[in-house]
Amino acid sequence: MRDQLSEIREKGLEAFATAETSEKLESLRQQYLGKKGVLTEILKGLGKLSHDERRQLGQLANEIKRLLLQAIEERKEELLDKASFLELQPDLTIPGIGIAGGGLHPITQMCYDLNDAFRSLNFEIFSEDEITSELYAFDYLNFPPDHPARDTMDTYWLKGTEDKRGAKRLCLRPHLTGASVRYLQQHGAPARFVYPGTVFRNESTDARHERAFYQYEALIVDRDFSFSSGLLLVRTILEKVFGHDVPVRMRAGFFPFVEPGFEIDMQCSVCDGEGCHVCQDVGWIEVMPGGAPHPNVLRAAGLDPDIWSGFYINIGLDRLVMMRYEIDDVRLFRSADLRFLEQFK
Amino acid sequence: MKASLNWIRTYADLPQDITAEQLAHDLTMQTVEVEEITNPADLVEGVVIGRVVTVRQHPQADRLVVCDVDIGQGTTSQIVCGGSNLYENEIVVVAPPGVKVRWHGEGERVELSAAKVRGVVSYGMICAAGELDLEGLFPPSEDEEAEIVDLTELFPDAIPGQPVADVLGLDDLIIDINNKSLTNRPDLWGHYGLARELCAIYGGTLHPFPSIEIPEGTSDYSVEIVDEDRCFRYDAVVFEGIELRDAPFSMRKLIWSVGMRPINVIVDITNYVMLATGQPTHAFDESHVSNGIRVRTAHEGEQLELLDGRHLTLSPTDLLICDGADKAIGLAGIMGGAHDSILPETKDIVLEVANFEAISLRRTASRHHLRTEASIRFEKAINTQRCDLALGLTYQLMAELQPTARIVAAGTHRVRETEAIEIPVSLHFLNVRSGHTITADDAINALEPLGFDVTYDGDDTLNVSVPSWRATGDVDIKDDILEEVCRMIGYENFEYKPPVITLDKPIRQLAKESERAIREFLAFRAGLQEIYTYPWVSDAFINIAGDHTDTLIKLASPPSPDRSYLRGSLIANVLEASVLNSRYYETFGLFELTQVFSQGAVSPSIEEEKLPRQERHLAIALAGVLPFLLFRRLKGILAQLPRFGRFEGWEFKQSGDKMPWADRNAWLKIVNDEGDELGSLGLLSPKATEESGLRIPCLALAEINIEKLVPLQSRDNLYRRLPQFPLVEQDLSIVIDEDVSWAQIYEAVANLVHDAKFVEEYRGEQVPKGKKSLMFSFRLGSDTGTLTAEEIEKLRNRLIKKLRYTLGAEMR
Ligand SMILES: [Zn+2]
Repeated sequence: MRDQLSEIREKGLEAFATAETSEKLESLRQQYLGKKGVLTEILKGLGKLSHDERRQLGQLANEIKRLLLQAIEERKEELLDKASFLELQPDLTIPGIGIAGGGLHPITQMCYDLNDAFRSLNFEIFSEDEITSELYAFDYLNFPPDHPARDTMDTYWLKGTEDKRGAKRLCLRPHLTGASVRYLQQHGAPARFVYPGTVFRNESTDARHERAFYQYEALIVDRDFSFSSGLLLVRTILEKVFGHDVPVRMRAGFFPFVEPGFEIDMQCSVCDGEGCHVCQDVGWIEVMPGGAPHPNVLRAAGLDPDIWSGFYINIGLDRLVMMRYEIDDVRLFRSADLRFLEQFK
Repeated sequence: MKASLNWIRTYADLPQDITAEQLAHDLTMQTVEVEEITNPADLVEGVVIGRVVTVRQHPQADRLVVCDVDIGQGTTSQIVCGGSNLYENEIVVVAPPGVKVRWHGEGERVELSAAKVRGVVSYGMICAAGELDLEGLFPPSEDEEAEIVDLTELFPDAIPGQPVADVLGLDDLIIDINNKSLTNRPDLWGHYGLARELCAIYGGTLHPFPSIEIPEGTSDYSVEIVDEDRCFRYDAVVFEGIELRDAPFSMRKLIWSVGMRPINVIVDITNYVMLATGQPTHAFDESHVSNGIRVRTAHEGEQLELLDGRHLTLSPTDLLICDGADKAIGLAGIMGGAHDSILPETKDIVLEVANFEAISLRRTASRHHLRTEASIRFEKAINTQRCDLALGLTYQLMAELQPTARIVAAGTHRVRETEAIEIPVSLHFLNVRSGHTITADDAINALEPLGFDVTYDGDDTLNVSVPSWRATGDVDIKDDILEEVCRMIGYENFEYKPPVITLDKPIRQLAKESERAIREFLAFRAGLQEIYTYPWVSDAFINIAGDHTDTLIKLASPPSPDRSYLRGSLIANVLEASVLNSRYYETFGLFELTQVFSQGAVSPSIEEEKLPRQERHLAIALAGVLPFLLFRRLKGILAQLPRFGRFEGWEFKQSGDKMPWADRNAWLKIVNDEGDELGSLGLLSPKATEESGLRIPCLALAEINIEKLVPLQSRDNLYRRLPQFPLVEQDLSIVIDEDVSWAQIYEAVANLVHDAKFVEEYRGEQVPKGKKSLMFSFRLGSDTGTLTAEEIEKLRNRLIKKLRYTLGAEMR
């Protein structure tokens, strides 16, 4: 019986150590340690033996059982370490199974990036309707009647109102600035708000000109707000949008609703200011006009220009997005062509 | 507008070494946007003077000659030429091999090489004006066909081999300024004004404007301004004894270099004066002007033929220049009449130097679609004093260039002078608003070179007197002075300064957040692509969508005749976009969220302003193959939208009228708790699919009025305690009449189960006609313990029994 036990030990350890699968291991376990296993049978037979032998052989058999169980555990772990759900190495270059891939319009994306930047600076978001009147689009904004500046914004007038004047002459807004007067009339000062939206111009279109385009305007009105602070604001916003510091420069510009007016350029990100085809070798790209609200605009908004001052910036998002992705035709934005839009996630 | 730096330099001492880049940068930063700077010498780079030594007939070609030309290289060059005006000792313009020319004045420039022309080698080209873009400077005469540039008379001493650019004096910088950025600067529409601005930028010295006094003792010429609101000053001067010929080359060159066409000495003088001072002038043929000048508004229907040959029918809003007999001879400030301006036989002239009111002049110019060099300047509002500069310069030029001419009469009518403006400005104001430290000296140094007179009270106030040329609407308040000071200091030199701002209320904009959540849900969860379309809709698609045009808004001048209506719903545009994309995709999903417009009278700001109704709508289009599946997908997206969009929920209901575009068997309305309609969804009908030209089997569409949604104050998640004992899930398949709906089944079982879910519908061989098979799953559970098999069976049977008795369902 002692020999039987040592044979079980040798063969068992050998068999467990070389079992190829966990199923095989399990059947070996049954074979040795199961209810009818060889070791179990021996243990059952111990009862016939003398007390001493029973004690000695019992100890030995239990020791063997322990060893075998240990060997099974070790082998199990070895097998698990080597295990795979896939019998064969599959072709891992086969593409994954995608999830439905929609997306926001690239201009919405840029708009939301800017919203996030401005919201972090406690700006409110304001929306004005797309149809407005000459009163808000021009008169309140210090465009003198029949002034040439009105011509720079060829406006879509609504039929039946085109020969009227002021509040009675309606149009698709040619720019966003009128919204600032609406907001200030309603909320007063101090004020910090952005008012993004689409504007419309009656122009002929080509790769660089559109009849509908998206602008993003921001206005801050406070006591004694300076241009130096405006410049800082512009830089902060661009930094948040582009993720890194963007050098900007402010230069003289004329718009009736601001006094003084600026053009704000940012350093060309394609060439880092060295000059390239994107910036037409200037190294700078005109991104936004801006300026301090003209006293007449503040008056139209019901504010005293001797107390309040501020800073406008107006960003052409179509242009900014075109620059960011080097898009060569502005008309793609409103083409609704999914082949184009799907490229922006 | 173009300006010549050489011309500017005649009025100012500026640094000699200004480069084109620097000039473009400095002007752009401080004054106006420079679009481009070019050098006319570049047009003739490498082109040299040649002297024709011999001319002989080309052996192979009747219309060609072969010349030996001295181009200063010791030996002569043989050049084949088609020119008709070649002769020995002629001074010509030669482009040697390697130079780029424009063949026959057409197409792109190409590089010349020594090449055989009909068997004879030609070393370069004797150029016609067009081949070097000089036709404005050397206009071809009418009787010559293939005329080359002949410099013999103009430059008899030119040496063969000398660069043509040197001989013609073409080396210059031509500054092309963006007209838009000059809108408010009438003073910069002449070279003298630009000279003043550049002196201010570079610290140069501005010379007094060349001008001579009006000679005494000339007889009075009758000038009458009838309409004094439209014309503020009119000077007329009569010169006798004009000799009409070409202006000298130097004057023609300047006029040409800034983009105008030299014509004859008198017209060129008037143009030169305008380009120098910014003040337009005009010359009439004196023999056509009887008894002086009258400036009056036109009679209704009055006719006038202009210099450019156009016939105008006028109205009293137009201002005319007439002679003493009241015959119209010009449209004031815009263009002279065809019959009374300078003519080839003109001997005596009446010179006009006048000042017109800008706004009404602009209205006339716009109405008649006339934009001339004169009208562009007048409509910016010019100071009356500038007439004196123009008159003085004209006298000087006439004396120089028309020594035989004499002034025989002169008259003037002055209504009013442009008044000087005094503006007190506080130093405190300049400092606070700029954020930059500005001393009184800084301000004075910035303003005085621009022509402002400044007196400082030694405390805080600068009294600034605005020069008349800036006082016509450009500078009239202290903010304008602030701008002048800041731009002369240069915004580049400003430091960044954090603003002092009061942080007030936190910002909470639920509707805005909800709208963004809607877009993001549709894009990132539902897998739809956001699109933008135009607000104007095609008539064809309005028709398919079934929108009623009588409530729509129309554009006065639409982008195209068939897109004159603005969208009253988004269906038409989203459908059109789907049709476009169906060319490239079989399945796709897209959405747009934007405003739609309809007749109404809404006053968002002030009572007086009544705007149409403008509401934000959302439209979704899903394209695919299986119609009902598509419909269900869309319904599924919409069912989840309130939750992810964070606004109050909605229900689907078939109520009211079917949408005109929808399939009669697949449409629903979206309604709120109160039963108000928020939107609709449906399958595009086969008829609409056909009419739209859609290239895919079907399309499901939905439209929702976003304005009617009520954003939640906070998230509306509900917590339900976890079941204490496990739930059991079961399926059940029933056969039921076709007209029994899932909603009815659900209602019947709802209070017998923990929850129930639709799985699938089936119609087929095993199902009798008029019936359908429906499978759903449900979960059962108990609060008191785990359900036993018997308990489950009991509950299931109760459920089956209820379905049988209430809805006539059979088990499958
Ligand atoms: Zn660049």
